[in-house]
Amino acid sequence: MTGRAVAAERGANGRALHGALKVSRLVLSPVILAGLIALPWYGDFGMQRLLVEVFTLFAIALAWNLLAGYGGLVAIGLHFFIGVGSYALFSISNVLHLNPWVALPFATVCTAVAALISAWPMFRLAGAYFAVGTWVLAEITRIAVLNTGWLGAGAGMPLEMISSFDRWSRNAYVYWSSLAVGAGSLVLTVAMLRSRLGLALKSVRDSEVAALASGVPAIHAKLALWVIAGSIAGTAGAVSYMSTLQVTPDASFSLSWTASAIFIVVLGGIGTVEGPIVGTLVYFALREAFAGFGSWYFIGLGSLAVVMMIGAPGGAWSLAQRFYPIDLFGIRRRMPVAKTHPEAIRS
Amino acid sequence: MATLVETLINGLLLGALYALFGLGLSISLGVMRMINIAHGDLIVAGAYIASVVTQGAGVHALTSLIVVVPVMFAMGWLLQRTLLNHVVGSNVFAPLLVTFGLSVVIQNLLQEVFTADTRSIRAENISQVGFDIGGVSIGLLPLLSAGVSVGLFALTHAIVGRTHYGRQSRAVADDPSTARLVGIDDKNFFAIVTGFALAATAFAAVLYAIRTPFSPTAGPERLLYSFEAVVLGGLGNLWGTFFGGLIIGVAQLLGARVSSGLGPFFGHLVFLVILLARPQGLFAKAAR
Repeated sequence: MTGRAVAAERGANGRALHGALKVSRLVLSPVILAGLIALPWYGDFGMQRLLVEVFTLFAIALAWNLLAGYGGLVAIGLHFFIGVGSYALFSISNVLHLNPWVALPFATVCTAVAALISAWPMFRLAGAYFAVGTWVLAEITRIAVLNTGWLGAGAGMPLEMISSFDRWSRNAYVYWSSLAVGAGSLVLTVAMLRSRLGLALKSVRDSEVAALASGVPAIHAKLALWVIAGSIAGTAGAVSYMSTLQVTPDASFSLSWTASAIFIVVLGGIGTVEGPIVGTLVYFALREAFAGFGSWYFIGLGSLAVVMMIGAPGGAWSLAQRFYPIDLFGIRRRMPVAKTHPEAIRS
Repeated sequence: MATLVETLINGLLLGALYALFGLGLSISLGVMRMINIAHGDLIVAGAYIASVVTQGAGVHALTSLIVVVPVMFAMGWLLQRTLLNHVVGSNVFAPLLVTFGLSVVIQNLLQEVFTADTRSIRAENISQVGFDIGGVSIGLLPLLSAGVSVGLFALTHAIVGRTHYGRQSRAVADDPSTARLVGIDDKNFFAIVTGFALAATAFAAVLYAIRTPFSPTAGPERLLYSFEAVVLGGLGNLWGTFFGGLIIGVAQLLGARVSSGLGPFFGHLVFLVILLARPQGLFAKAAR
């Protein structure tokens, strides 16, 4: 067989695999989703609470990965959005005596506005400076909230309106919100990456100079990404604090949120959509197994991240891709296949 | 009025210490174009090493520098050789994420070995002594810190400007691949640079440990002050970092006069405001 024939065959295999993936995606995802939606009727509160953590942290990791992996915007201060989102939800719901689930979309809008405003100073920094600059942003906001009386200062505030719900519905509603945030952010991410914006971002990521030269509005694409990722993280943070019923500045504006997101993305694979999914599974498996070891668990996790970055910068997903090159969400753009007759290739 | 002058002078002296925090960061940025996220945790690690030496050998805090400086140099050299050389010069996120992981590891190692309690190093003969100059009281320790800071900046400036190492560092900073062509072993050179940066950081660590009680989680805040000093000063401008540190120090102490809990807030605020007005930093070199 000639090289071209091999290539053609591989292309055909790839297309077949692609088709099979499309079918399994159409069949499997509704089944998984239905199973997850029904969970409050068969799972206990502990399981629901764990899954709330899984889904919200997944969304946050997805947001971090969007920024770093697609926009080249490494944000060490992503927890800025967690704090803003959760405080927006709690204060809107408490002050207006609103049902927290009615207040949630307003909290999302608040984080989007916060993203737009914060872009003004932050986008003057690039690369590593942007990374640490966002951390300063999160820190200054934390100190501001810590010193603001009507936000409860250091003690934070409770989510008052949630006490009118009984325990089962409270748990179930928080669980469904987290599922909506997790699944919704995945759908949004895939849709965005398949759109013109996604193409623009990927071209900027691969070569900013070339992208600018071909007329890609790089700065607008990055700004849109910052607002979208910020809103995802803020909403996920708000839902996460719905589950704990109390928000404090030190917990919600904590670097540990961003640290978890970074670990998930680095372990799973930066710059892919599958990476955060794999990473979330690995992260929670490690946590459930080893969190009892306290500091040693974090030492191990940190070392693992360092080793991964040096040895396998593409994360677990890239290791898997070496053996099974699949594209779960159909995001990768392919070269159009030349429409030649098979006989023509063989000769 | 006298108290305002006192706040200003103490702010400048505190700022000189922040500048010294930033010196190591400024060096590694200038030569290797990378920000070490673990920089603050390395300062705190240096403080712990100093406290172990001081207690173990029963020597004065400043005498512990004889041990802490070489130990920190060796740590920097090893760190660069074993880990950081793999990621230097690559994309933006690899060095950031490797040093981020390192930061988590250092913090938790310190917590495991020394517990989460705060510690301090006692050196009453310098930390409790002050002078009264025309109604303005100035402590000996802040004066000493500022003197050490100026001295180390001047030393670094002289090394960069006049020595063979300095010429190498400027060559590598300008164009690493051409520098390699003319025979500079950049990997080994980077290890020496990081060693030097951490040796300078050792001085900052010991002075900080005498001044303030510290705990394993104090690192990130030190990193942010260092970072602000570097960015305010203008990237790649050594003395700029020094003046950037002074600005942060004065802003913090003036802010603390407004409300005692708001010192760091005003430091960050001044940083953001100057960033909006002059994104290239206050003392940036003209673009080439």
